[in-house]
Amino acid sequence: MNFSVWIVVSGLLVIGIAAGFLMHRSDFCMAGAFRDVFLFKSYKLIRPLVLLITLSALLFELFHLTGVLPSYPFRWFSPPAGVNIFGGVVFGLGMVLAGGCVVGVLYKMGSGNLMALVAFIGLLVGSALYAEIHTWWISLAKQTNFSTSAVTLPQWIGVSPIIPVLAVVAIGGFFCWRWQQAGLWVDKNEAEGFIPLWLTATGLAALGGLTVLLSGIPMGVTTSYAKGAALVESWIVPGHLATLPYFTTMPGHHTLPLDGILRSGGAGAHFDIVAIVQVPLILGIIGGAWLSAQLLGEFRIIWKVPFNQIAMVFTGGVIMALGARMSPGCNVWHLWGGLPLLTMQSLLFVVGLVPGAWLGGKVLQRVLVPGAPLKRLNS
Amino acid sequence: MRTLEMDIRGQVCPSSLLLVLREINRQHRDLMVGHLCMVVLTDNRDATGTIPEAVRNMGIDAVVEKVDGYYRITTQQQKH
Repeated sequence: MNFSVWIVVSGLLVIGIAAGFLMHRSDFCMAGAFRDVFLFKSYKLIRPLVLLITLSALLFELFHLTGVLPSYPFRWFSPPAGVNIFGGVVFGLGMVLAGGCVVGVLYKMGSGNLMALVAFIGLLVGSALYAEIHTWWISLAKQTNFSTSAVTLPQWIGVSPIIPVLAVVAIGGFFCWRWQQAGLWVDKNEAEGFIPLWLTATGLAALGGLTVLLSGIPMGVTTSYAKGAALVESWIVPGHLATLPYFTTMPGHHTLPLDGILRSGGAGAHFDIVAIVQVPLILGIIGGAWLSAQLLGEFRIIWKVPFNQIAMVFTGGVIMALGARMSPGCNVWHLWGGLPLLTMQSLLFVVGLVPGAWLGGKVLQRVLVPGAPLKRLNS
Repeated sequence: MRTLEMDIRGQVCPSSLLLVLREINRQHRDLMVGHLCMVVLTDNRDATGTIPEAVRNMGIDAVVEKVDGYYRITTQQQKH
């Protein structure tokens, strides 16, 4: 590793620790944000997500206008395809059943939650399963392409991004202001050391901005779950691994802003550009949540958990990983990185994510409280 | 007064709130007249906000205490 890679890896590790700490203190659950709208008619967790997206859109556009972004739109976003919606549906279903999204699983695991570890294993298994269908899926994705060149909505309609992005900022800002006026940013959480959700959303937007400045791309973690799956397969079935194009090719290319060197990366078990920008965040989020839980005296591993929940969470992890690869990209990548730029992949992902979360809520309710009077639950 | 203890520590989110709501629906009358006290043990930080809010909306009060690294939420008959 050269010096600039050390700087990026160390910086992203610190960013990840701060993000994990904030997420644990606020229980900032993005899966819950979508799930609770349908399950409890609660918008409590959606509000900070709107704030996060609004602030990120403002920040990224400022970076764009001042010329500090090495590439605009960010690398690894592609023109949209119909499969982006399907991937969103699958991802939404999986994240609700898993009890957390791809980063929710990390901060919950860091605080000692065994279920999150089960979901994490499910994510590795799902990534390995996707590798088996990757070639077929890519050919299907190509057949459903909407556009051959436009990555963002402004590019597609042929306008400068500043007007549509500022419109998004204005609409998001208006809603955040109305919620402020209505007193809806006041949290009723009584957990020790709780950090208000609006403050965590603001902090996460700032950390997302720092990630972009340091690495040149927004936060993302899921390709490294595939790397984890590839690593396990390399120990168990190395011969089979060698036959899987998903694990043996390096289709992603990226230049770190610090040294300008073009590097390649993929889902294989190598320390490549994907690992440089994702693995420190993963380790940092786990570490930050662990630190927060330790300081509060709340780090506990509870072994006695219902088997039906273990089965549901594992299945959710598998489904979520499949959705993340089919989209391609996870909720963090699309909501926190793509949506602020109005990338069409991310817009389509959200179109699928919403019904997926609704479906997940229905299944979750039947697994956790079977036979309960479902209508009265929401009263 | 009966006491119903629900240990939901370690379970997947949002089982704490779903299970509590199910029990409140089943035993609402006993909770309202003070014949039943529900004690919920949870390590879900979000539940310290969602459970008291949900039960208060249904006319029952709740108290949150931190005990040995987890949270104990106790329902109480609301004073009129």
